[in-house]
Amino acid sequence: MATRIVTVDRNTRPGVGPILLGMWITLRNMLQTLFQRKGATIQYPEENRPVSTRYRGIHILTVRQDGSPKCVACYMCATVCPAECIYIEAGERPEKSIEKYPTRFEIDLLRCVYCGFCVDACPEEAIIMSRENNLVGTTRAELVIDRDRLMSRAETAEHGAGYRPDEHDVRRPVRLAALDRLSKEHGIVPGMPKR
Amino acid sequence: MPKFTIDGKELEVAAGTTVIQAASAAGIDIPHFCWHPDLPVDGNCRMCLVEVEKAPKLQIACNTQVTEGMVVHTSSPKAAEAHRTTLELLLINHPIDCPVCDQAGECYLQDQYMDHGLHDAQVEIEHKVHKRKVANLGPIMLDAERCVLCSRCLRFEREVTGTNLLEFKNRGNRTEITTFDGGPITHEYAGNLADVCPVGALLSHDFRFKMRVWFLEQTESVCGGCSTGCNTWIDARDGEVQRIRPRRNVEVNKSWICDPGRMLYKQFHVPERLTGARAKRGANWEGVALEAAIDELAAKLGEAGSASAFVATPQASNEDLFAFKALAEAQGGQLDFRVGNPQDKLHVRIDEVLQRADRNPNTQGCIDLGMGKDGVDAILVACRAGAVKALVLQGPELLRAAEAADAIAKVPFVAVMATHEEPALALAHLVLPAALWVEADGTYTNYQRRVQRAKKAVPAPGDAKPRFELALGLLRRRGHALAVVSARDLFVTLAKSVPDYTNLDYKALGFGGRALATAPERAGASAPAGA
Ligand code: SF4
Ligand code: SF4
Ligand code: SF4
Ligand code: SF4
Ligand code: FES
Repeated sequence: MATRIVTVDRNTRPGVGPILLGMWITLRNMLQTLFQRKGATIQYPEENRPVSTRYRGIHILTVRQDGSPKCVACYMCATVCPAECIYIEAGERPEKSIEKYPTRFEIDLLRCVYCGFCVDACPEEAIIMSRENNLVGTTRAELVIDRDRLMSRAETAEHGAGYRPDEHDVRRPVRLAALDRLSKEHGIVPGMPKR
Repeated sequence: MPKFTIDGKELEVAAGTTVIQAASAAGIDIPHFCWHPDLPVDGNCRMCLVEVEKAPKLQIACNTQVTEGMVVHTSSPKAAEAHRTTLELLLINHPIDCPVCDQAGECYLQDQYMDHGLHDAQVEIEHKVHKRKVANLGPIMLDAERCVLCSRCLRFEREVTGTNLLEFKNRGNRTEITTFDGGPITHEYAGNLADVCPVGALLSHDFRFKMRVWFLEQTESVCGGCSTGCNTWIDARDGEVQRIRPRRNVEVNKSWICDPGRMLYKQFHVPERLTGARAKRGANWEGVALEAAIDELAAKLGEAGSASAFVATPQASNEDLFAFKALAEAQGGQLDFRVGNPQDKLHVRIDEVLQRADRNPNTQGCIDLGMGKDGVDAILVACRAGAVKALVLQGPELLRAAEAADAIAKVPFVAVMATHEEPALALAHLVLPAALWVEADGTYTNYQRRVQRAKKAVPAPGDAKPRFELALGLLRRRGHALAVVSARDLFVTLAKSVPDYTNLDYKALGFGGRALATAPERAGASAPAGA
């Protein structure tokens, strides 16, 4: 359902006129809701508001083709997380080219502030966010979400993927800042050495 | 004493000093891989190139001696470009495994790339030369792709352990590090290989994947494994020790420690740790609050008066010993520490590198503080004769000694301070939980008579308290309170009464320790032997 936007000119002079205008808007909304069902209220949870494709909802751990986690347990997300809500334990993977993977990966969704830094920090695109925001549980423990639940979320997340790094290279600003420092402090502009 | 200028700073150094030594002493950081302060110079990595005025080419700082009037620039455009091109060369075939590499965070390549490199890679990943990865060399994991061929590990094997277990094989791009036939590292100093390796080519098997190093909090400490008293770093996270690393002290252990010392942390957080006091009621043990247990012991000491005996432990710090001795003296009881005669093994080496046969960190401290007073044998004789009404043990050593069992059985009240659960504790009537050396501030005097300080790195579990606090609690209850609140105060008090320790305090000790004059005849070692 499309959101209606009401523009109010707040620069009108005080007086009876603006008060009556305000009352008229309220009355109109009431009548519309009562008789035309055009109200601003939606019937959540049957009905949901549309959310942006960059929405930062509950996390998803992405998987490789063989179904194993893409995550290499580098702890970058746990390091950057301002809420300190990611807990990882690393183990050995048989493939020597990958070596490491998380044997435990838990996010305490109640502590998470949904900042998306973990997504930005991940060098493997292993952690992304979904567009889901209805976080409901009957115990706290239920909302500490473990590796397997995070991995299976790709299929179960109702509204699809949210914030993920493919549209904007998050590493760019860091690198640009470092290059800037190098040229300012040492007068060096990296690239191939001059010959 | 040549004078020279480095990055605009005028310095005067001893003749024969190299540029990199002078720079690091002056706090100027010259990037390097192959140079190590405790290994011979090899000069193979070319990372340390610096510009020396009037020299036709750049010079390597690690193998250039300072001469009079030399003018050195470590970050002039020419030097900076040399650093960058050297890094670029080293990184040609580097796998960039940082996300899965345990060295990340303390890796010379990472740090130097951020400080001096920042170039764009010119080699595609599929064109890199591949080498052996995840090779298990026993205590060490080898990843030959990450090696920068600096030869630090080879020189360690050659100069420190004399075992020559590692060697380069192949040539050019394919050069890689290997043991003979890929066999394991067999000596007891393997952990140092992971420390000397500036990159993630040699990594500790024990620490593998355990923790990212930037989460660790580092605390200065001294190894509690033997009388050598190697200086260490305790790396802990959230009150749990994750690893022990050597801390450089040229006078004691250089940059090394032994593997048994490194593995001591495995006994720190185990279910056998004592977390509460307990007392024997009839045939059964009953848990008691620590304060109540100290009350009980103080009462027993009050009844026993001078019919009491005290056995100290060379595992304890000087502070612990001092407070314990004050208690024994206030009580007028017998005192000794020489269970099993550790003082005879104090100087005995068990290998050519570091380890000594006396597995206690503070036997010399016991000698210096005069803990060897009445002789363990005399104490046991008194026990057998029923002349000891209360026996206080600072550690469980005497309970473990089979020949003392009959004497201990004669004593109506035996109290022991212990860190770990063990069957021998069954002989006692009261067990007080004691903190380990990483859980309390304290000083230890090593075999050289060097007083060294260890800082509290992690909290003690449950009710466990440093031994000096237990002794201070007893002193207070017996009406002989010492006016001290911390180990620091206690050491100041101690320094006033122990010869040679005069004028020492924690500040004077620093974290490098202070060497005392070696006594010509070692008191204690020549006195009558103990049990
Ligand atoms: S979204 Fe922010 S708070 Fe939540 S897990 Fe990621 S980094 Fe932590
Ligand atoms: S940053 Fe990515 S790869 Fe690293 S531990 Fe987190 S999810 Fe795994
Ligand atoms: S394994 Fe490490 S210490 Fe040995 S040569 Fe390679 S980089 Fe140097
Ligand atoms: S040699 Fe002794 S003091 Fe040094 S690390 Fe080994 S056990 Fe500890
Ligand atoms: S540190 Fe000087 S050449 Fe390697």
